[in-house]
Amino acid sequence: MNVAPRYLGRGSWLSSRDPRVLVLTVVFFVFTAIQVWDIRLMFGLLAIALLYYRSAGIPFASVRRNWAFVIFFVSLLVLVNGVIAGGQVPRAVPGDLHVYLHLPLIGTPISAESLLAALAQLLRFIALAAVGFPLAYAIHPADFGATFARLGIPERFAFAIDLTFRFIPSFATDLQTTIDAQRVRGLELESGAGGLLGRMRRQAPILVPTVINAIAGAEDTIDAMDLRAFGTGRRSWLRHLVYDRTDRLVIAFFATLLFAATIAGFTTLSSRVWVPPFMIPG
Amino acid sequence: MTTMSMSRGGMWEVTSRVIVYAAIGAALYGVLLVLQVPIPGTKDVSARPAFALVPFFGYAFGPIVGFFTGLVGNAIGDQISGWGLLTSWNWSIANGLVGLIAGLAPLYVGRMMSGSVMNRAIAGAVAGVVAVVVGFLFVFTDMVLSAYDVNTVLTTEYIPVITGNLISTIILVPILVYAWEPLKDRLGR
Repeated sequence: MNVAPRYLGRGSWLSSRDPRVLVLTVVFFVFTAIQVWDIRLMFGLLAIALLYYRSAGIPFASVRRNWAFVIFFVSLLVLVNGVIAGGQVPRAVPGDLHVYLHLPLIGTPISAESLLAALAQLLRFIALAAVGFPLAYAIHPADFGATFARLGIPERFAFAIDLTFRFIPSFATDLQTTIDAQRVRGLELESGAGGLLGRMRRQAPILVPTVINAIAGAEDTIDAMDLRAFGTGRRSWLRHLVYDRTDRLVIAFFATLLFAATIAGFTTLSSRVWVPPFMIPG
Repeated sequence: MTTMSMSRGGMWEVTSRVIVYAAIGAALYGVLLVLQVPIPGTKDVSARPAFALVPFFGYAFGPIVGFFTGLVGNAIGDQISGWGLLTSWNWSIANGLVGLIAGLAPLYVGRMMSGSVMNRAIAGAVAGVVAVVVGFLFVFTDMVLSAYDVNTVLTTEYIPVITGNLISTIILVPILVYAWEPLKDRLGR
């Protein structure tokens, strides 16, 4: 069982950036993308996102399943929202829609605008995933504490984030040991007997020992922290983070993108669905 | 007789104990998310036993631990799956709110928490149910962030997620409270 965070982008251009750059990029990009509905601009954002993703050097073979899951999941969401549940077209007046047909039984109107809104949503999710993956795979897991501390998160919580990442490998090992031990005792996790409730109850022999063992072991960590006077003074971090010129340029680029999308949302039609002439019937 | 109640001022203190339990809760939640139980009759919906840790850690260790467990644990689960720590930040906040609301249990099930172990286990489940139903209302922010309509969020997000999570909470939180009580006494908490 491999549940530890994977540092797949090691050595890439993006992994050599200050990790704060990767966090800020996601924040700026998420708020940029949610403002854009014109698919021409969305294709532009997707191109930027894919270029950014490429700079993380994440081997595709290692994340093929993740991409398959993301694409399946977002396609399902877009389909349900746009077609089955009759998703609204943002800022569109119902009477102005170019309707092709109404779905039988549920009567949802399928219009040029609703199809393009669905396409914009699909592109947006893929772009967000492309920007999100480097955050998952191109930051060294040991750097998260220092990263969030330097981004202004209170240092006790930043330390808790750091501690969380340090606990993960040992808890993953404990979990595997517990599963093996319970299987040896005859626990059948995959058995369907007893329905959902039975299956849930069968998770307890795995869940309870793993959790209680971790809680019992916490006292050692608490004592160690107290003995080192945790929280009595300002904390320093082993990893020293400094922005270089490239880091500043990357942050400035994505901040400008957000600023431009916000201004364009008020002054242009970027936040409305654009319909190419060939999709307008008759 | 032991009680699980805590003073209101003590709820919001950030001590080394709070930090460590918060980190443990988040790490366990992230790790245990690999355990999934498919819900019969649905195609792709699974109940996640690990989710019970969010209301449990909130209920047992207070609102700060609960909030951190849900928020960071869910983000780490997303991180491990590759989706990215912050990509679905509103879902992580929803998970955090569940832990926070469960941690406020002394304010709304305080009397039950002072009773027998069975009462405290039931109080844990009640607090968990309240927390799940209220906390996940935050996913309606997808109406703004993803431009979904209310029906889509309700039918494809809110109802499926609270169904699976309520099942985990109702079954596993009382079991965890039962397991935690003797240890709590031994640790002098």
